[in-house]
Amino acid sequence: MRNLINLFSKIALNSPRVVSYNNSLRSISTTTVRNDLMEFFDDPKNWGAEEVKSGRSWKKDELRIKSNTDLHKLWYVLLKERNMLLTMEQESKDQARLFPSPERLDKVEDSMENLEAVVRERNTAYHKLETGETGERPGRMEVGPLGIRYYYKMSEYPIPKHMNKKWQEKYKFYKYDKDVEAFLLKYREKLYLSKRKAQRRNFNHVIGLMNRFPNMDMEAVKEQYPDVDIEKAKSSRKYKGHFLPK
Amino acid sequence: MSTRWYPIYQKGGPQLRVFLPNFWMKLVKPTQDQPPNIVQFACSMEMTKHDVKNYLEKIYNIKCVDVRTRIHMPKTRRDPGKGYVIKDEDTKYAYVTMPKEESFKFPDLFETETKEKIVEDHDKAMKQAKEGFQDFLKKNKDRANMPGWFTI
Amino acid sequence: MRITNFLFSRVGKWSKQYSNLPERYIKRAMEQVYWRNPKGIQYKPNAIVQRKKYNFTVNRPWTGQFRQENAPGSLAAKVFVEPIKEWSHFRGDRVQILTGKDKGKQGVIKEIIQERNWVIVEGLNCELKKMGQRDDFEGVWVRAEKPLLVTSEISLVDPSDLTPTPIEWRFTEEGEKVRVSTRTGRIIPIPPSVEETIDYKTKGTYKEQPKDTAADDLSEITFEPALRTFEMDIMEKMGIKEDRVPPKSYWY
Repeated sequence: MRNLINLFSKIALNSPRVVSYNNSLRSISTTTVRNDLMEFFDDPKNWGAEEVKSGRSWKKDELRIKSNTDLHKLWYVLLKERNMLLTMEQESKDQARLFPSPERLDKVEDSMENLEAVVRERNTAYHKLETGETGERPGRMEVGPLGIRYYYKMSEYPIPKHMNKKWQEKYKFYKYDKDVEAFLLKYREKLYLSKRKAQRRNFNHVIGLMNRFPNMDMEAVKEQYPDVDIEKAKSSRKYKGHFLPK
Repeated sequence: MSTRWYPIYQKGGPQLRVFLPNFWMKLVKPTQDQPPNIVQFACSMEMTKHDVKNYLEKIYNIKCVDVRTRIHMPKTRRDPGKGYVIKDEDTKYAYVTMPKEESFKFPDLFETETKEKIVEDHDKAMKQAKEGFQDFLKKNKDRANMPGWFTI
Repeated sequence: MRITNFLFSRVGKWSKQYSNLPERYIKRAMEQVYWRNPKGIQYKPNAIVQRKKYNFTVNRPWTGQFRQENAPGSLAAKVFVEPIKEWSHFRGDRVQILTGKDKGKQGVIKEIIQERNWVIVEGLNCELKKMGQRDDFEGVWVRAEKPLLVTSEISLVDPSDLTPTPIEWRFTEEGEKVRVSTRTGRIIPIPPSVEETIDYKTKGTYKEQPKDTAADDLSEITFEPALRTFEMDIMEKMGIKEDRVPPKSYWY
């Protein structure tokens, strides 16, 4: 079966000038190279167009079968495409005109994200094999000065922690404090209340649904509102109102 | 190490390289008149002058003689409904000087005449449609409540 | 609470299938952000103030009409939407209308609005609307289809006897999931127009755009596993030699 066509890799593979080195990956090289500022603009055919058709973004599975060099080239193609689209979008905005097919930007950004994820996968695999660690930026769960837990992303420093005055001043973690404890009590109460409110709201909503749709699929309700006790909702006095059923 | 982590540089260490730069640059119409060899860009806030120069030279193959940057703070405005003050995000602008012999003029993407022409065409079409509808009504004045398929 | 709200406001799969727009664009086009916390150390690092409840109507979430309907400050009455376990009405399905002026008529589903359990049946259940009324022009009457609830206002049609039937999802011997008419036990096939989008009728008839990758290039495997990171591989291919060892650094 023919695959649905992808966005932007043809020019990737055809584009002979990718950052700072030449490649002749493909013998087919149909796109003409433009080494000027006009690369920041769309094809003049699309200037003032209502719509510009494009394929979909690159999927991770499609990127996984490509070599590092190909990915590297594709990245710059996507980068240029994004710059072009941003330029066109800005100019359309300034001129108060329509920017055709703004979803192209999202397609390019999706592709870039997927590409980066694939590169990250490869690097993680290498590091795990060689060192047993992922090689990603390390981090840990920490409790902040206001007693709230967050994920602390570690950074790289040329000097150790005990010598780094600046770091010690900047990053304060939680130490027992009476006022903070008082704050936390109220903060947790707030969280609890908002959670209870949501439960109550869902409960009443389910009763409202049951009153409106007597033949409703109760399994679907259970799936969508897992925290609602349906038997309890049925015994509520709000269910079915105050009139006798016919 | 992951792609988005930039290691610190220490003397004697390996040269730091970016393989998948995530910076964006957009070419904008200059707000002030500039010499023909100066181009104005809006770029990522994190970019330095050297970054701009390298970016254009390596990726776009554009020679840069000089780069100057500034950060533009937009005017604050009030929310139309609630009235609180809004400040939009700052923009970094880079003014890139190309060699003397090169020149660039920002192209007119939407030729100014066409805008009026579009409006004119639209008005004309609307007028025609309205007139056509009036004609239709006039023709069918004496045929009220007659089904559409019944015609001569 | 937040999660359920998010689930409610999300656009259904079948509502956006025909438009062929990426999820990211739809999210960007419909969101209304009033405040985002700046970067840096914050009491709430990624606090965001945005519209949570949207009023879904026949206007699609990425259109200007939708934005107009959900303008900041506007609130719509609460809508109760019956939860459905599995969506079973698709574009191109033949359905019979059970209520209204066109009761008993059969038509083809043209549009799906999953957030409201609605479908629009082509040419049926119409209303007359006056358009373009001005001081000097009395306006034109146009017919516009009104949406119908899938739960009670329409019913799928059994292809064997062309009468409405309740359906059930079952598995065939081959493990394929199909809709089965509970009255006759016949399979109601999913119409081929399910995969149709605004850009193509079927995936096979998609017209290649100038910036698209050719299918052969797409499926070609160029990856060769090697004990190298991405950076090491690129440096080797580009002929960059680097043998300086990074001095000691500390992570904390």
